[in-house]
Amino acid sequence: MNKLWIVTFETFLRQVKSWSFVMLLLGPFLMFGITMGAGYLGAMTGTSSEKIAIISDNQQLRTGFIKSNSDDVDKKITEKSVATKKMNKNKLVGYLILKADKQKVSAQYVGTRALGSNQKGRINNYLVATQQQLNFANAKLSPNQTKSLQQQPVLKQTVQKKTGTANLAKKISFWVTVIMVYIILITYTTITAQEIASEKGTKIMEIIFSSTTAGKYFLGKVFGVLLVILTQILVYLIGGWGGYVYAQHASLTKNFMTQYHTLINSVLRNLLSINLIYLLLGVVIYTILAAFSGALVSKAEDAPKAAQPVIMLNMIAFFVTFPFQNNIDSIVPKILSYVPFLSSYFMPLRIINNDASGVEIVISILVLLASIFLLATYIGKIYQGLMLQTDDSSFWKRFKRGLSYNK
Amino acid sequence: MLKVQNVSKNFGDLKALNDISFDVSDGQILGLIGQNGAGKSTTFHSILNFLHYEGTITWNNQPLTEANFNEIGYLPEERSLMPKLTIEQQIIYLARLKNKSAKEIKPLIDDWLKKFAVKGTKKDKIKDLSKGNQQKVQLICTLIHDPKLIILDEPFSGLDPVNSDLLKQAILDAKKRGAAIIFSSHDMENVEELCDKLIMLRDGQIVLYGTVREVRQSFGKTRIYVTTDKTIEELAMMEHVVAAKPLEEQRFMLDLDDETSGKIVFDELTHGQYIEEFNQQPPTLNEIFKLKAGEHHE
Repeated sequence: MNKLWIVTFETFLRQVKSWSFVMLLLGPFLMFGITMGAGYLGAMTGTSSEKIAIISDNQQLRTGFIKSNSDDVDKKITEKSVATKKMNKNKLVGYLILKADKQKVSAQYVGTRALGSNQKGRINNYLVATQQQLNFANAKLSPNQTKSLQQQPVLKQTVQKKTGTANLAKKISFWVTVIMVYIILITYTTITAQEIASEKGTKIMEIIFSSTTAGKYFLGKVFGVLLVILTQILVYLIGGWGGYVYAQHASLTKNFMTQYHTLINSVLRNLLSINLIYLLLGVVIYTILAAFSGALVSKAEDAPKAAQPVIMLNMIAFFVTFPFQNNIDSIVPKILSYVPFLSSYFMPLRIINNDASGVEIVISILVLLASIFLLATYIGKIYQGLMLQTDDSSFWKRFKRGLSYNK
Repeated sequence: MLKVQNVSKNFGDLKALNDISFDVSDGQILGLIGQNGAGKSTTFHSILNFLHYEGTITWNNQPLTEANFNEIGYLPEERSLMPKLTIEQQIIYLARLKNKSAKEIKPLIDDWLKKFAVKGTKKDKIKDLSKGNQQKVQLICTLIHDPKLIILDEPFSGLDPVNSDLLKQAILDAKKRGAAIIFSSHDMENVEELCDKLIMLRDGQIVLYGTVREVRQSFGKTRIYVTTDKTIEELAMMEHVVAAKPLEEQRFMLDLDDETSGKIVFDELTHGQYIEEFNQQPPTLNEIFKLKAGEHHE
């Protein structure tokens, strides 16, 4: 096997076998599971306590109410004494006694807390409708008269759902994109810089470089990290798709998914687009810089420090997006969407905002690719000299000596 | 054959190597000696193409390139392995980088661990091994792929006499199968015992080069070990004796001003009579080292 791939797979396997990677991978699924479980438990325990019992001697009256308000009622309870006991155990909010004679319908509510306005409205509607039926019957009206009295006023409202949802989808996509890019870049730059710095700290590099060229080794490291992130994205895509399908059918989330179907689909479309390419290329350019940064430290103990310059750059790029969340079409984001290290944030945001043409996207990607190539070539060239400087001299002395290896 | 011709290397204003030339044939051992900072590691780094240099370095009359890396076994001065790997994983990973498959190397590991008396099993993690055992594992990594050119930077440092003997035997085995070997050492006894040739570097320049015998002889037989009933004062006062040092009871070491003065001193000490010991030798390598290093400080 080519030595480049030996280094690539060694880096990949070492990362994916580590506990930190497994936790990184499972984290979102655990969060999803915990949220669903907590929601389900909450719903289960909340079912009894939110309901009321209907007590009535008039079975027709009771059945009629239950039929139109089944979600609010604990159907099993038919007696006041049972309802009182359940209320004391906090398993019932209250009970409603329904009475009707030939003239009048009446109701009395007894509960541990006052009725909510929606519930009160639904009870009132039922009582009014039942009283009206009784009134019509007592008034002995003709069918036409009955029909005339049943006429209701009409209120129509039109909401431009598409535009409203699209705007909300853009806002959600903006935040999801910047946070996702930020977290992924922070994670992988830290992993890369620390991996390179600790390897340099073990001083094994002389042995490695007596077997393969520094350029191949450097590329192998970058490719290894890329394979790790591709694995992570693949797992998230499959897991995310599974979660999406599950959420569409689970009783707890079904209504939510139906209600926000358009919004969720718009957000997903924004995320699973060319923006993924920007994310990947962003990881590549930041990883190369992180490898360079890792190569500058001299001791394994300094490995945590190695990632700091790249993390700072990533943080700057992240925070610079904030002022532009509502005016992404202004000139500054336009310029920044072509600048390597920043374009991974800004171009996806412009794409979400439908503000970038195909040509602009292609130019930005080409600039990013060219920067990656130039940076990788230069760092690959000086990498060997830098990695072999393991003495305790000052940073600049090591850096200068590292560069002089190639002169 | 490894041929180093007129190699120079500067780090800024520092002349790390200054026009050095030497060669090592197949089945030959070359010792590289010199004080710290004399240029030994830079010489190794130049051979391994770690840095750009002026001059020519060839392996079998071809420039040394990546294609030759698989034929090289290198043990750097700084001991280093990947602590999280097991012994087996470490050996296989480094051997794969030398173009050997895991299948080829796996069956050899137990024998090599036995050969170097490594305590533990191949499934033990590197970080759990003692320093000495880690060093032995690193030596195995250097030699297991049967390299044709072996470069060992201070291989004996940190090894006890028993393990030093194991390493010496491994070096001699490699010589027997025709490998060209270069090693640096501060232990002149090892150099004297193992090397066919030696080089002494000082400030990046070669100050001594030749076989051990040639180098020692070049300093003349100016050392005399003598057992006599004369006192140290009497010996020190003798003509042509520049220094006298008591060793044991009635046994002394004398330094002469010239190799040819030996005969005069012998005659004066014996007067034609029997004498228990009179042994005229060139200085030891250790003394030559100190002498050459001392010249620099004068």
